[in-house]
Amino acid sequence: MQSAPRNPTVVEKLRRYLISQEGVLFLIMLVAVLFLATRTDKFLTVDNLLQQGRFMTEVGLIAIPMTYIIITGGIDLSVGSIMGLTAIVLGWSWQELGFPLELAIVTGVLSGTLAGFVNGLFIVRVGVPPLIMTLATLALFRGLAEGISQARSARGYPEWFFELGQGEVLGIPTQLWLVIVSVIIFAIVLARTQLGRALYAIGNNETGARFSGLRVNRYLLLIYSFSGFMSGLAGYIFVSRVSTTRSDMGTGIELDVIAAVVLGGTSIFGGTGSVVGTMIGVVLIQLLKNGLALSGVTSDATIVVIGSVLIFAILVNNFVQLRRDGS
Amino acid sequence: MKKVFALSLILALLVMVGMPLSADGHERWDGADDLAVNPLACGMGDEMMTDDSDDMAEEEEMEMMEYDGGQPAMMDMDMAGMDITLVDVPKLIGIGYFAATTLGQQQAAEELGNVSVTTDAPTEANIDDQIQVIDTYITQGVDGILFAANDPVAIAPVLRKALEAGIHVVGYDANSEPDAREWFVNQAEFNGIAKALVDSLADQMGADASFGIVTSTFTTPNQARWIAEMWAYASECYPDLTWLETLEAQEDAALSFQQAQTLINKYGEDMDGIFAMTSVATPNSADAVQQAGLCEDVAVVGLATPNGMKPYVNAGCVRDVILWNPVDLGYAAVYVTRAVVDGEFAPGDGSVMAGRLGELMVVNGSEVLLGPPFVFNADNINDFDF
Repeated sequence: MQSAPRNPTVVEKLRRYLISQEGVLFLIMLVAVLFLATRTDKFLTVDNLLQQGRFMTEVGLIAIPMTYIIITGGIDLSVGSIMGLTAIVLGWSWQELGFPLELAIVTGVLSGTLAGFVNGLFIVRVGVPPLIMTLATLALFRGLAEGISQARSARGYPEWFFELGQGEVLGIPTQLWLVIVSVIIFAIVLARTQLGRALYAIGNNETGARFSGLRVNRYLLLIYSFSGFMSGLAGYIFVSRVSTTRSDMGTGIELDVIAAVVLGGTSIFGGTGSVVGTMIGVVLIQLLKNGLALSGVTSDATIVVIGSVLIFAILVNNFVQLRRDGS
Repeated sequence: MKKVFALSLILALLVMVGMPLSADGHERWDGADDLAVNPLACGMGDEMMTDDSDDMAEEEEMEMMEYDGGQPAMMDMDMAGMDITLVDVPKLIGIGYFAATTLGQQQAAEELGNVSVTTDAPTEANIDDQIQVIDTYITQGVDGILFAANDPVAIAPVLRKALEAGIHVVGYDANSEPDAREWFVNQAEFNGIAKALVDSLADQMGADASFGIVTSTFTTPNQARWIAEMWAYASECYPDLTWLETLEAQEDAALSFQQAQTLINKYGEDMDGIFAMTSVATPNSADAVQQAGLCEDVAVVGLATPNGMKPYVNAGCVRDVILWNPVDLGYAAVYVTRAVVDGEFAPGDGSVMAGRLGELMVVNGSEVLLGPPFVFNADNINDFDF
C-alpha cells in the first residue's frame, strides 16, 4: 500500500497497456504461441517463424491501408482483384509488350494504384458506398486480369527478379523488411499526424469532419489509392515469390485482410483502430494456421479452429474494453 | 448503291482472306494444332491394352528421352522396406475427383502395408494455400510428398525445397516443372485419348462413319492436341471415316447444346457420330441428341466426368465416355513412390511395377504413364462419384 504512490505512473501505464485492445490481443497471441509450442517442437524455430513471415507479407502490406479505410468507416473488397490485375499487367507488359522488366514492375504497381484511385473517385465524386463500389470492382478488376491474360501465364523471369520474394537480407526474408518498415512508418502516420487524426474524425462523424473544414474527399481519395498501391506492391511480391503470373492471384485475400484488421481491434463502424493491432491480428492468424497444421491438424479443421479463435478473441476483447470503460 | 458496293467489297475481301485458309486448311481437321503427331498403332478391344504397351515399349526404347526429373538430397538412412509416411496434397479437397485419387492411395497403402498416406490440401484450388500446406509438411518432416499442382511453375520452388530436405516428391494429375519432382504419374497421353475416342466411334458406327466435332475453341491447347492426334490416328487406321465439320462451343453449356443441334440439323442422316472434346460439350451434345430422338442414329463419344454423363449412359443414349480412372491414378502414385524409396525404380528405368495395374511405362523422360484411357460405360459408371 505504501509503495503504490511511490511509482504510480509506471504501474498505471503498464495496466493501461495490458487492458488496451492491442494488449489483450497480444496476450492471447502469447498464450496461443506457447500452447502451440508445446504441441510440436517444429513450430517455435527461427526458420519456421521467418518462413511464416514470408507467407504473411502480402496480407500484412494490404492490411495497413485496409486499417486506414475501415477507420474511416469504409471498406475495400477489391484488394485481391487489384493484386491479380497488377500481377497480370506486370507479366503481360514484360512478355507481350516487351517492356524492360524494371518498367513492367513500375507499370504493374502503378496500374494497381490507378485501380485504387478509380475506387476512390467513384466513392468520393459519385457517392457510391465503398462496399458497393469495391464489390463491383472486385469483379471488374478480376475480369480485366482474366481478359488481358487470356488464361496464359508469364514465366521465365531473370534471377534478380526473385530476390524480393525468395531472397534474404541479413538472414531475414527480403519482403519482411518491407513490411517492418511500412508498419513503422504508417503506424506513426496514423497515430501522430494530422492525416491520421483526420481519418479518425471521418470515421467518427463524416459530416462533422466536413463542417470542421477537413478535406474529407481528398483524404478518402488518398487512402483508396494507397490501398491500390499496397495491393499492387503485394501483387509484385507475390509474383516474385511464386515466379509466375496468373489471373487468379490474390483471390479471397480481402477476407484474410479484413479478418486480421477486425481482429486487431479496428471497429468495422469506423472511428477506432491501430496499425499495431492489425499487425498482431495478421501474425496471430498466420501463426495459428501454421502451428495447428504442424501439430497435425488438417487444413479443413484448421479453418474451423481459426474461425472460433476469431470469435473468442473479439469476445474477450469486447468484455475487457467494456469493463475498462465501465470502471 | 454505295451500301451495296461496300458490302460486296467486304464480301470479296472476306472470300480472299478465306480462300487460302480453306485451300490448305483441310490437311488436318479444323480445331487441330500443327504440332507433330504420334499416332498409336491400330487395334481395338481387349487386345488393345497388350498391343498398346508392347508397342509403346518399343517406341520408347527407340527414342527414350533422357531423365529430366530432380533428385532428393541423399539421406543417411536407407528406407528400403521400412515404414514410410507420405502426405498427399491434391489441388483441393472436398471434390469427388480428388476423393477418388485419395481412395486409390489408401487402397495402395493397405496393400503395401508399410506406407501411410494422409491427404491434406486447401479447400479451394488456390496456389498460395497449396504452397503453404506443402511447406508446413516439409517443416513437419515426412518421407514423401504426392501432389497435383495448381500451377506448374508456382509450386516448383517449394517442391525443390522438399527435395533439398531429402523428401521424395512424386506428382500426379497435374505436373510441375520436371526438375522440381522425381516422377509424374501421367494419367493419359494425347495419342492414347485420341485412339480411344476414334476406336469407340468406329466400333459403334462402323469404320466408314461420318461425324462432326464439338470442341472448346480451335486454339485451346489440349483440345487442339487431341484433335490433331485423332486426325493422325484416323487417317492411319480408319481412312474411310468422314469428318464433316468442327464447331467451337467455348466451355459453355448452352452453346455446346446449340452447336450439337446445328450439326444434327445440318447433316441429318448423313451424320453418324459426334466427338465432344470437353466435359461441358459431351453431356450437352448427348442432351441435344437425346432431345432430337436420335440416340440410335448418332453416337456421342467424348471426354467427360462420370457424374455428368450418368443420365445419358444409364438411359442408353451414350455408350462410352472416355477419361481415366482417378482411383488407379492415386493408386499408381503411391506404388511409384514406394518403388523409388525402395530403390527399385531409378532414373533411366523404362518401367515400374504398380500392384494390380501391372507394369507401367516411363514416357517423356520422367513420367509414368497410367496406361490406356478408361472407358466408362453402363457396366461401371455408377461405381464412380466425381
